[in-house]
Parts: sequence; structure tokens; C-alpha cells
Amino acid sequence: MSQPRVFLYALSTCPWCRKTKQFLTDTKVEFDFVDVDLLSDDEADAIADKAYEVSGARVFPIVVVGDDVVVGYDPDKLADLLKVGWGS
Amino acid sequence: MTDTRPRKQALHHFWERIVDQIGYKFTPDEELVDFLLEQEVALEEKFEAPYCPCQRRTGAWAQDMQIICPCIPYHREHYDKMRRCWCGLFVHKDVTDPDTLKQIPPDGV
Repeated sequence: MSQPRVFLYALSTCPWCRKTKQFLTDTKVEFDFVDVDLLSDDEADAIADKAYEVSGARVFPIVVVGDDVVVGYDPDKLADLLKVGWGS
Repeated sequence: MTDTRPRKQALHHFWERIVDQIGYKFTPDEELVDFLLEQEVALEEKFEAPYCPCQRRTGAWAQDMQIICPCIPYHREHYDKMRRCWCGLFVHKDVTDPDTLKQIPPDGV
């Protein structure tokens, strides 16, 4: 079964965004991400608006897994959606 | 490279007294405290206020002031539900095991 596309909206200053990146790396899930705060202002506004559009949230991390959206660091939910093993 | 320790110590000293009044304390996770304070000193230097490292400024001051640390009063119900603030810098006074506290998305998300 093919893995759903995984995209992470993150902030470079956020430790929970770093933990999310680590979780996805450790579980060998392919993902793309953007550190919104490292973009130019215009780019950052556009990407943040997109993140808000898909999640309704202005907090980070925001993980899009196929059609699902996980707001906050929630490895259990991510493991469930991605069908990967993970020991908390 | 700026020595951030004096400003981190000042913020710690100042905020400890503020959050104590509303039932919160710094997380026992000292590594997380140090990392977050480091981010906030940098954010303060860049944007003239210690914004939450896990939320983004929008440019609209009425909204942005609600994520200046300690932002607990603006998100009291949400944070009380988690027994921590969003970035985890502050936890309820009775918390001894912060790793067990989950981030719960804000209402309506």
C-alpha cells in the first residue's frame, strides 16, 4: 500500500516541530517540510495562510498526511495514520 | 555572538513571578526551558518582543500580542486543558512529568 503524501509546516524555533521531524525520520517516512519563519515575509505569509487554510490553526507543527491534518506534536496519531510502529 | 545568558536569566526571573500568580511554573524539563528561552531572546531581538517559538506572528498587532510570552492569560482554557502552554515552557504547578502532557489542538481546529 503506497504511503500518503506527508507535508510538515514548521517553525525553526519550535522544539515540537523538531520532534516531529525526528519522528518522521526515525520511522522512515518520506516527507517534505517548510520552516515558515525562514522564508521571506511574502512567502511566509502565503505559506502560513495555506497552513491555516488546511488546518484552521496558527500554531505549529501542522502535519498533512494525505487528506488528514494533525495539529501539534502527536506521534501516536501520526503512527496510526501512517501505519508505522512507534514506541513512545 | 551575543551572550544571551543575562537576558535569559532576566526573563526567567521576571516570568517565574508572573506565572506563579496564575497557577503555572516553568517546566521541570530544564533542557527545554533553556532551548525555548534561547529562541525567545532571539525572537525578542528580531521582533522587539519575546514571541512564542511555536506560533507565528501575523502582523496584526491585536492577534500578535496574544502570543507574546507568557501568553497563558489569552489561552487560559486551552492551556488549562493541556496543563501546559502550547510551547511547553510553562506547566501547571502540580506537574512533575511534563513528557506525558500532549499538545491538544486549539478549539475549532
